[in-house]
Amino acid sequence: MMKEKRELVSVPGKWDISFNYAAGKTVSHFLAQIRDNGRILGMKCAKCHRVMVPPRSFCERCFVPAEDWVELGDEGVVEAFTIVHDVFEGSPPPPYAIAYVKLDGADTALANFVDGLDLSDISEATQRLKIGARVKVEFASRREGRITDFKYRIIG
Amino acid sequence: MDRRVAIVGIGQTRYETGKTESLDEIAFEAASKALADAGITRDEVDNVVIAASDQLDGRPISSMTLACPAGGYLKDEVKASDDGTLAVVLACLRLLSGVFHTSLVVSWCKCSEVPTAKVTNLSFDPFFHRDLGLNHINALSFQVNSYLSRYPISEWVPAKIVVKNRANAMGNPYAHLVEEVSLEEVVQSPIVCPPLRQLHLPLECDGACALVLTTRERVRLTTQKPVWISGLGWAMDSYYLGERDLHQLSSVAKAARQAYQRAGIKKPIDEIDVAEINELSAYHEIMAYEALDFCTPGEGYKLVEEGSTELTGKIPVNPSGGALAASPLFAAGLVRIAEAALQVRGDAGERQVTGVRTALAASCYGICAQGSSVFILSQES
Ligand SMILES: [Zn+2]
Repeated sequence: MMKEKRELVSVPGKWDISFNYAAGKTVSHFLAQIRDNGRILGMKCAKCHRVMVPPRSFCERCFVPAEDWVELGDEGVVEAFTIVHDVFEGSPPPPYAIAYVKLDGADTALANFVDGLDLSDISEATQRLKIGARVKVEFASRREGRITDFKYRIIG
Repeated sequence: MDRRVAIVGIGQTRYETGKTESLDEIAFEAASKALADAGITRDEVDNVVIAASDQLDGRPISSMTLACPAGGYLKDEVKASDDGTLAVVLACLRLLSGVFHTSLVVSWCKCSEVPTAKVTNLSFDPFFHRDLGLNHINALSFQVNSYLSRYPISEWVPAKIVVKNRANAMGNPYAHLVEEVSLEEVVQSPIVCPPLRQLHLPLECDGACALVLTTRERVRLTTQKPVWISGLGWAMDSYYLGERDLHQLSSVAKAARQAYQRAGIKKPIDEIDVAEINELSAYHEIMAYEALDFCTPGEGYKLVEEGSTELTGKIPVNPSGGALAASPLFAAGLVRIAEAALQVRGDAGERQVTGVRTALAASCYGICAQGSSVFILSQES
């Protein structure tokens, strides 16, 4: 049989599918309170007394429903952080910083972007953004009921 | 019924980027190699368990097109949309149920066909995390920074892990990445999300892996030396990172405790001869040493400094090169079991550790090792 050069083909594909994710009563109230009143609420489990944020209509540890809203402070402490310097498809253009912050009155940490840091200097940025640093919540003036309606800013 | 399951066949494709074979071709390749290794045909298999990600495969319910290439034609087939090691868990349970006798386990992933981080961003919930651009890589540094804040180890420690795993991969014909790196190259490699640099992270690639599992009664029907699964455990942590103890790998610790208990292991570092760990980063390999109880929390760096986990050390870790040398994401955990089994059989070629009787394989999967499974493999039943 004659030897011929075989061509290798690949076919492009793209998923373009719309979804509508129901947030449920609890998360809807949480997002509406952020949008309308600039307030962040946590949900307290009646059994283990943990104040959860993001709030849920149940405690996954005790496995019981939860319905006690608690208003959280607008300040808190950094529990974990990442400063992203690489480009990822589907993520914001780098650099950006995201921190998990335990807001005053909460038992769990809530993630969001950290604003007001010079991220071009890594050692400078990690001097300020570190575990234990205090941050303040800063709400956007125009809010749409999304988690991106606020950011954290390092204080002190 | 004798409640033992053995690995009697192992099949791997080469792990490389930009494979030109189609997904069904690599599934077929791994599955047929595993059958050939076991010395049986597809006729002896009564069920197929596969594990893959529909999103990374770019095919919703990818088993629709891939079950038969993986050996499932007119057979019982189930799929875990999860890490490859969970297909082994599922297959073990099915065999132990007594309903099935011989399982073909197949997992695959072609990272080069899709921007993986964009896919894993979609794994996050749409209300609180997806909008932040989090993915399976940039979230890792939440954990690493938390670990370092508690145990401030030098950057040379994870660098040593990278150098070790890359050097080990030179002896692994399946690992496509056969370049050694120096400590200096690691600490100077491009920063991804501090302190994680490019060389600290798994090298995502394409490939498939398959195992044949059978019961004690059927082992004699194969021609291969059996590798016994003498212990296994698996566990799931909370999805919410803000609720987790990020400085430790809790799911790994929980899975390991179960596996050790089932295998009767009391002092892992003395009783395990070699370990294959699906390390999510070089730092995560150190965290895994602690979660697997090779040392106490915060002391993982000592094992690295003493060279205990190098090829000639007390407990060599990732003689195959691990995920840092080749990670077909969803299949990477199954590769760890395959490699640990080759070590127990004495068939690991250049990367063989001498005198292996008991091996450990551990996988971490999900965002920041939300899930983990741990297997103890041994020569004796
Ligand atoms: Zn509770």
